[in-house]
Amino acid sequence: MTFEKVAQVIAENRDMDVSEITMDTTFEDLQLDSLDTVDLVMSLEEVFDITIEMQEGLKSVGDVVNLIDSLLEKK
Amino acid sequence: MKSVICDLVGIEYPIFQGGMAWVSDASLAGAVSKAGGLGIIAAANAPADYVREQIHLVKSQTDKPFGVNVMLMSPYCEDIAKLVIEEHVPVVVTGAGLPTKYMKDWIEAGIKVIPVVPSCNIAKLVERAGASAVIAEGCESGGHIGESTTMSLVPQVCDAVNIPVIAAGGIADGRGIAAAFMLGAKGVQLGTRFLVAKECTIHQNFKNKVLKAKDTDTMTTGESLGHAVRALKNPFTRQFLANENNENMSIEEKEAFGAGALRRAAVDGDEKNGCFMAGQISGLVKKEQTCEEMIKELFAETEKVLEGAKQWLK
Repeated sequence: MTFEKVAQVIAENRDMDVSEITMDTTFEDLQLDSLDTVDLVMSLEEVFDITIEMQEGLKSVGDVVNLIDSLLEKK
Repeated sequence: MKSVICDLVGIEYPIFQGGMAWVSDASLAGAVSKAGGLGIIAAANAPADYVREQIHLVKSQTDKPFGVNVMLMSPYCEDIAKLVIEEHVPVVVTGAGLPTKYMKDWIEAGIKVIPVVPSCNIAKLVERAGASAVIAEGCESGGHIGESTTMSLVPQVCDAVNIPVIAAGGIADGRGIAAAFMLGAKGVQLGTRFLVAKECTIHQNFKNKVLKAKDTDTMTTGESLGHAVRALKNPFTRQFLANENNENMSIEEKEAFGAGALRRAAVDGDEKNGCFMAGQISGLVKKEQTCEEMIKELFAETEKVLEGAKQWLK
């Protein structure tokens, strides 16, 4: 499941408990600055073996999960 | 002294002049390019017409390569992104964000894209998008800065990417250039030293402040607002910091206090109300010279330092 993997990556990345992360968690909630966002995206690329183009409009964990799902479908 | 950067952008010495808002105009950029470095026009927050005029002015001075620094948070960024293609600008340096969405068009137009990067992952990201090189800029720099120092950032970025790395931040003489090369850099970008170049058109008060500065005369403000800026200490920077700590002031009020402050420094020379952005290395900058004198002296020093380095191997 994409969400579980994403939540796991974020939890490790932010020293948080996985249970604190939901589909509705926003980057703002996670206090991600622009550098953190890039680091997170690169970690997710590694885990899912995909290439994510940095784009505006990614605001929540749900957005990221949906984007990854659509990228995985194309693979 | 030569490096891959010289071949990459077609310059004589591996040195870029930093794109500094309200400072890096056609006069400075043209002089640096003529002297064999890469002069860079700062697009900053300026509209496309102004930048186009500066590009034409540089082209009228020299046939040598030059660059434009595209500030990605500028309200005119989209226009500038198109302008550099129309004007066949040889090199685009970017600052203040991720340039990836513009890079495909620039690269297709034959432009060498060299982003300023604050971290290894961002360096990797722009390398993947086709960057020709990256500028790893440490927080010793003047103006808007990141958190890592040049000493720690440069070798890590060199290890992270396979494209050449240009070091920036805290470099103003041959020792600094030699050190940057020892860290793995293939070129350097200097800003502060060029502030006092004879061809630099900023107010004389600004130049005098740099020339008089000591090692401890810069400070950073704006960290609490999410955009740290290094500048020479003066009543403006002290008040800005006091405002940041003032709980009764809104973020908007704090930001408004800073608006136009760089212009007041560079254009008006307003010693009380201007923000004199300059790097920590200001204390080392002691004389006004032409860009050509500076660049020749810098690399004569660098070669001497590098040759002298053999003494440590005995």
